[in-house]
Order: sequence, then structure tokens, then C-alpha cells
Amino acid sequence: MEEVTRLTVSSLLLAGLYAVMAYGLGLIYGVLRVVNLAHAGMIMGGAYLTWVLHGRLGIDPYLSIPVVMGAFFVFGVVLYKGLVRFLPRGAAGGGQSLLLLFGVWLLMRNAAYLLFSGNDQAVRTGYSTQGLRLLGVSVSVNRVAVFVIALIALGALHFFLTRTYLGKAIRAVAQNPDSCLLVGIDVERVYALTFGIGSALGGLAGLLLSTIFAFNPSSGAVELLKSFVVVVLGGLGSVVGIALGALVLAFAESFSILVLPSFLTAAVGFVLLVIVLVLRPGGLFGQRVLG
Amino acid sequence: MLEIDDIEVYYGDAQAIFGLSLEVGEGEVVTLVGSNGAGKTTTLRAVAGIRAPRSGDIRFEGESLLKIPPHERAERGIALVPEGRELWPQMSVRENLELGAFGKRARGRVEESLGQVMSLFPRLEERADQLAGSLSGGEQQMCAIGRALMSKPRLLMFDEPSLGLAPILVRQVFETVRHLHADEGLTILLVEQNLRKALESADRGYVIETGRIKTEGPSKELLQDETIRSAYLGI
Ligand SMILES: Nc1ncnc2c1ncn2[C@@H]1O[C@H](COP(=O)(O)OP(=O)(O)OP(=O)(O)O)[C@@H](O)[C@H]1O
Ligand SMILES: [Mg+2]
Repeated sequence: MEEVTRLTVSSLLLAGLYAVMAYGLGLIYGVLRVVNLAHAGMIMGGAYLTWVLHGRLGIDPYLSIPVVMGAFFVFGVVLYKGLVRFLPRGAAGGGQSLLLLFGVWLLMRNAAYLLFSGNDQAVRTGYSTQGLRLLGVSVSVNRVAVFVIALIALGALHFFLTRTYLGKAIRAVAQNPDSCLLVGIDVERVYALTFGIGSALGGLAGLLLSTIFAFNPSSGAVELLKSFVVVVLGGLGSVVGIALGALVLAFAESFSILVLPSFLTAAVGFVLLVIVLVLRPGGLFGQRVLG
Repeated sequence: MLEIDDIEVYYGDAQAIFGLSLEVGEGEVVTLVGSNGAGKTTTLRAVAGIRAPRSGDIRFEGESLLKIPPHERAERGIALVPEGRELWPQMSVRENLELGAFGKRARGRVEESLGQVMSLFPRLEERADQLAGSLSGGEQQMCAIGRALMSKPRLLMFDEPSLGLAPILVRQVFETVRHLHADEGLTILLVEQNLRKALESADRGYVIETGRIKTEGPSKELLQDETIRSAYLGI
């Protein structure tokens, strides 16, 4: 019984991180119809930027959130304006944009190898080893902090998308871009903004990840695939769908260790993905586009 | 107010509009009529900026529109109620209307405009929180017209607003067009296949055939024109 509580708590906490990284990927796909494979690079880069800011400048990882998100927002906007803007979108041009963004990821990864070597790194703070008790289970402070920050980020994003003019414009562009032009929305600007926000979320996911896991230049690949699983599970509809998708993945992974050897945990998500794609091609929680 | 001057519009290599010219004066209701595939939608899309002409010019209040990006044309006072409504289906009616007032000029007056649209179409007020995609065809048309009005246009273009509606709703749509012109002082460019009804509510008309203006003139004359009567009215 205690094992079940422990697994429940840790899945819940992990789901927050999953939701953040998946939302970055899902938002970009929902609005631009581009699968951003460079998302893996954003996650990895966010972890390294956090590590550098902490190691060189002594900035606490959680205090560097605005810097990391800001940096990746700008990177995303530049990447959109310099490259993604020219790519064919949707079903017809999917292959080309996939390859090019894969190339961007490779470049980022190789840059990280050159700059930081291939060694595993981790961000260790004074409180890294501290724990606290939650529902009678002991968990690390960092995991709780990551969860709380993820909730705040998703809440803020939800508020932005549903309550502000610019956020509504993003949803409208996802649903019908031509109509947006008719009412005076600068669709190109919305695309750039969306790519920036999605990248900032990737950077944030990397930051959060760096406080609880070790990472190296190849990190981000598994996270990208997990993000993909969450998006397929949760659909592109809303923050709520993504959160549900993240919960399903986190619980499935955590509880699988009761029945599966631990080296198979990573495969759980993909089995889930295949099952969902076969049974419900639209995703478990609907396929509304940013409704 | 609007002058279309000898434009040619292409889709890839396929030419859709061949040197079309058309004029709408301030305060006029002008209709552009023609059969399927004649190029009516393409003409309106060129004015709205969604499809740029390859040659020719489009002027609004004397100024060429061609260098003005599409999203800034709403700001100048041009609005289009597109063919097939083109709402944002997963957003509420209220959100659809609010976004109509996205432009700077319109946004400051969004509450006032919402009130006006809701009183013009009380049905939209009842459905305000419903998703636009779940509205009936007639309600969607009201929502699309409402959205266009939210941008506070001076030139309002309609693309086949009566398409697919029951006769009673068709009458209502034409009644709305008349009201917007007579009571709100809007200048209107109305694209229709319903030639008789369109000519009855317009001052002047243009008949378009395969991307060219075939005939033009005051509505009364066009309604009497023998070739038009036999070709389009089945008389
Ligand atoms: N997206 C497109 N791609 C290629 N050709 C197009 C496209 N849209 C329209 N056309 C072609 O351009 C021509 C004019 O089409 P348009 O839609 O302007 O006609 P329309 O008068 O609005 O017709 P309808 O009454 O059926 O709406 C047609 O020959 C059509 O096949
Ligand atoms: Mg048409």
C-alpha cells in the first residue's frame, strides 16, 4: 500500500514536467502544423543554460527561469523568421520541415558536445538533497518545486490563451488563418510568437529537468518522444487535455515497475502510443484544435 | 471608394481573373453576380489581400491597396463576410465576435460594437457562449456578418451570404444588407448567384463570366436585359 502511495505521488509530480515539455511541442504543431524536432534541442539547451548560469554565475536554477525562457523565446522567434517561415507546412511539406528541424537539433547537439563535452552534468544546489513529506511519503524538494512551477506555467499559458486578445488570436490562427487576416490579425507575427512560446516552454522543461536528472548533449531525445506521446494522448485541444495525457503517461511509466523490469519503463510510453493510435487515432482526449 | 483597375489574378499557373475592372462609390450597394467558378470569390479575395493580383491595381479611397498587407486592410475599413462563413469553429460566438474587433481602431469600442451586433442578431446573444461550429447555417451566417461588423468597416463585402440558407433566412440576409446600407450608411459590395434578389437590392450590378466583366449597369437595366434574363433568370 505504501508503495502505491509512493508511486502515485511520484507520478503526479512527474506529470507536471511532462505537461510542460509536451505543451511546447503541441502548441507549435497545433498552430503551425509543423512537428518541431528541434524541441529536443531546446530541452537539452535549457538544461545547459541553467547549468551554466548556476555554475558560472551562481544563479539559483529557479531564479533563472525568466532568463532561460526569454533566451529560448528569442531563439524560437529567430529560428522561425530565419528558417521555419520558408518551409512548406502540413501534410504536403511535412517531410521537409521534419528533416530541417531534425538538422537544427543535430547542430544544437553537436554545439553542446563542443562546448561542454559529452559528460553527464547535473545542477546541484544546497537544497538538492533535501526532502519533505507528502501524503506520508518522502519526496525531494526539487521534485515538488518542479511540479509547482509546471502548474504555474500551464495555468499562466491557459490564462493567456483564453483571456487575452493575443492568446485568442493564436487559437484563431490554429483554426482558420485566412479569417484572421480578414479581421486584422498579423498571422505571420502570430506564427513567430507561437514558435517563440513553444521554444520557451522547451527551455523551461530543460531547466526543470536539470534540477532533478543528470543530462548530456544527447538529452532531449527521450523527452521529445515522451512529449509526442503526451500530445497524441491528450490531443491539441487544451491545457487540460495535455495535463491528462501527461498524467496517463506518468502513471503508466511509474506503475509499470510493479510488473515490468525497470529497463523497460522507457518503452511503456511507446506501447501506449501504439495502442492509442490504433484504437483512437484522434487521441484519448479529443482532437479539438486549441478550442 | 473602391476601384479595381484591370487586375489579373492567378492560382499557380491557372489564370482566374482576366483584366477585371470594377468600381464602388461611397454609399453605393454594388453587386457582382455570375455563375460557379466565374471568379467572384477570387475578386473579393484580391481586395481583402488574401490573393494578390499579378497585375493591375486596387485602390481604396484613392490609395493603392497592393502595398498594404492584408491584416492592415481591416484597419482601413474594409471587411469581408467570406463564402462559407469561415468562422473559428472551436471558439465561442462571443470570442468570434470579439476577435472581429482585433484591430486598433475597433478594439477600443468592442463592448459598444458587441451590443450593436447582439441587438441586430438577438439569436447571437442567446448563443454567445456556444461554440461557433455548433451553430446552424443561418446562425453561422449571422455570426460571420457580426464578426465583420465588429471591425467597424466602411466597405462591407459579402460573398454569397444566402448560399445554402432556407428561403426565410435568405430574405433575412437581404433585409440585413438593406438595413446596413440604409440605416448604418455602409458601402456594400455584394457577391451573389441569386441574381434577381441581388439586383433588386443593389444600385448597380456587374455580371462576371470566366474572369471577365460581361455586362454592367444600373440594376434596373440589368433586370430588363434580354440576354441576362435568358441566361441567368431562366425567362
Ligand atoms: N484555391 C484555388 N486553387 C486553384 N484554382 C482555384 C482556387 N480557387 C478558385 N480557383 C479557380 O479560379 C476560378 C474562379 O473561382 P472563384 O472561386 O473565384 O469562383 P466563384 O465565382 O466564387 O464561384 P462560386 O460561385 O462557385 O463560389 C475557378 O476556375 C476556380 O476553379
Ligand atoms: Mg465563390
